[in-house]
Amino acid sequence: MKQQRLWLLFIVAIFGVAFAPLPLGTAVPTSRTVRLEASSFEFSPAVVAVNPGDQVTIELAATDVMHGLYLDGYDLEITAEPGQTAVLTFTADKTGTFRFRCSVTCGALHPFMIGKLKVGPNLLLWRSVALSLLAVLFFISREPLFVNREPLSVVRKPNAEYEIRNTEHGIRNTEHP
Amino acid sequence: MAADWLTHRGVKSAKKSVNLSGEFLARFLLALLVIGTPLWIWAARRGETAVTVHALMPEKGGFLPDTLTAAVGVPLELNLISDDVMHGFAVGQTGWPAVDVKPGQMTEVTLTFAEPGTYTYYCTRWCGPNHWRMRGTIEVTGAEEREAPPASPPLYVELELDIDAPHELDILLKTPPSAARGAELDITLPSEFLSRDVYLTQTPFEVWQALRLASETAALTDEDVWDLVAAAWHSQTTDEQIQRGQTLYNQNCAACHGSGGGGDGVFGQAFDQASDFTDSQTMLGASTAVFDGKIRRGGMGTGMPYWGTIFTDEEIDALIAYLWTFQFPMDNE
Ligand code: HEC
Ligand SMILES: [Cu+2]
Ligand SMILES: [Cu+2]
Repeated sequence: MKQQRLWLLFIVAIFGVAFAPLPLGTAVPTSRTVRLEASSFEFSPAVVAVNPGDQVTIELAATDVMHGLYLDGYDLEITAEPGQTAVLTFTADKTGTFRFRCSVTCGALHPFMIGKLKVGPNLLLWRSVALSLLAVLFFISREPLFVNREPLSVVRKPNAEYEIRNTEHGIRNTEHP
Repeated sequence: MAADWLTHRGVKSAKKSVNLSGEFLARFLLALLVIGTPLWIWAARRGETAVTVHALMPEKGGFLPDTLTAAVGVPLELNLISDDVMHGFAVGQTGWPAVDVKPGQMTEVTLTFAEPGTYTYYCTRWCGPNHWRMRGTIEVTGAEEREAPPASPPLYVELELDIDAPHELDILLKTPPSAARGAELDITLPSEFLSRDVYLTQTPFEVWQALRLASETAALTDEDVWDLVAAAWHSQTTDEQIQRGQTLYNQNCAACHGSGGGGDGVFGQAFDQASDFTDSQTMLGASTAVFDGKIRRGGMGTGMPYWGTIFTDEEIDALIAYLWTFQFPMDNE
């Protein structure tokens, strides 16, 4: 009975942690301007964090050669040349983490010129952290259940007809000599 | 017996499939011939006449080849391809839109020249610090050799100006001169100060000195007289011209001279210190003719490129009109 209640409690907790809507993202959307400097072969800053609903303005300034910015998920693109700062304004209406990459072939390491846009807290990450904590808690609370059980390892019994041998090729049953 | 039957079946079906694939092949070849021949002829004809031009960073060769020839009225077909980074292609003084030249992608352009002469093609995308050196020429010959009209020499040659001489003044302006304030002074300037000639050949400082001595300005402060100079300069340019100049400036000059004109562009110090157009000490001691000469001819071994074969006269006028706005801002009260 006690065990069953414990199980129920954990199942409810798991669903709660994984799917409960959180009262997050209540930060009042503001407009923010981020100046991104693009040089061969990096964006600075490489990680941009905003709140959901924010009106985001990205000023892309190329500091050596022509570069571009393509934002995954939002499917937006701009290019900038030295002396010609490009401006991109959009509403961060999709939450999550999105990659942005240089969209102009600018040199040998061009494919590695990437950055991240984080919209809102990374709920997926926090939920999975909480789930792992829950799992740990679960096993700790279950520990007394193991006390009266046999340990999980295979024990060779004196009168057994066969033994379990661990060979190179896996576990094999062999006749007892 | 059973084995016999099996082999028999096997051979039969194999034969049938050979027939089938043969027929298919024949049909396919026919289709290929019907569709492919005109395509192939077209491609071959283009291949015969088209010239492939490779674009590389200037340190690695720039445009290869960098000299081309064409005849008036005969289309020149070019296959442009980049071997490294993104480049651009445009032909100076034609007004034809620039195209991008991307790696791993053929850009086809067809140029037809109406006038003989030497044309300059140039890269339009900042591909490296030496990007502005990436140029080539197209020699266009006329159908019949015409007598080329004698080109008038640039203004600075006519005036025998030394455009490399320093032109720094020992003056200090507290506020930038304002054309708007100058207009408000409600002074009718003697007409000689409003002539095109003055704008082209005199420096703002020379005009200020002359105005200072004129009887009309006796009651004015020195600053007021500067505002009058700004008004005189403004009367020689139009808003469209300034706008056009700004676009050209941002595309071609801001990388060195800075988008605010302060000489602080990302390549402003790559070669020599690019001129600071906001510095009144140097700017007010230079004339339109000096700027015109410097833009056309370029620096003498400095980082200042020559633009004489790239921009038209109107484009250079527009650029200079815009350069003056760094000294004589339009919108201050
Ligand atoms: C690659 C860098 C570079 C670019 C691009 C460039 N400049 Fe310059 N420019 C310089 C440097 C360096 C100087 C100073 C040395 C000299 O005068 O030769 C200069 C000087 C000048 C001067 C002379 C100013 C004076 O006080 O005498 C003018 C005018 C000028 N530039 C206009 C332009 C214009 C207009 C463009 C664009 C069409 C342009 N420049 C593009 C580097 C550049
Ligand atoms: Cu890049
Ligand atoms: Cu280039």
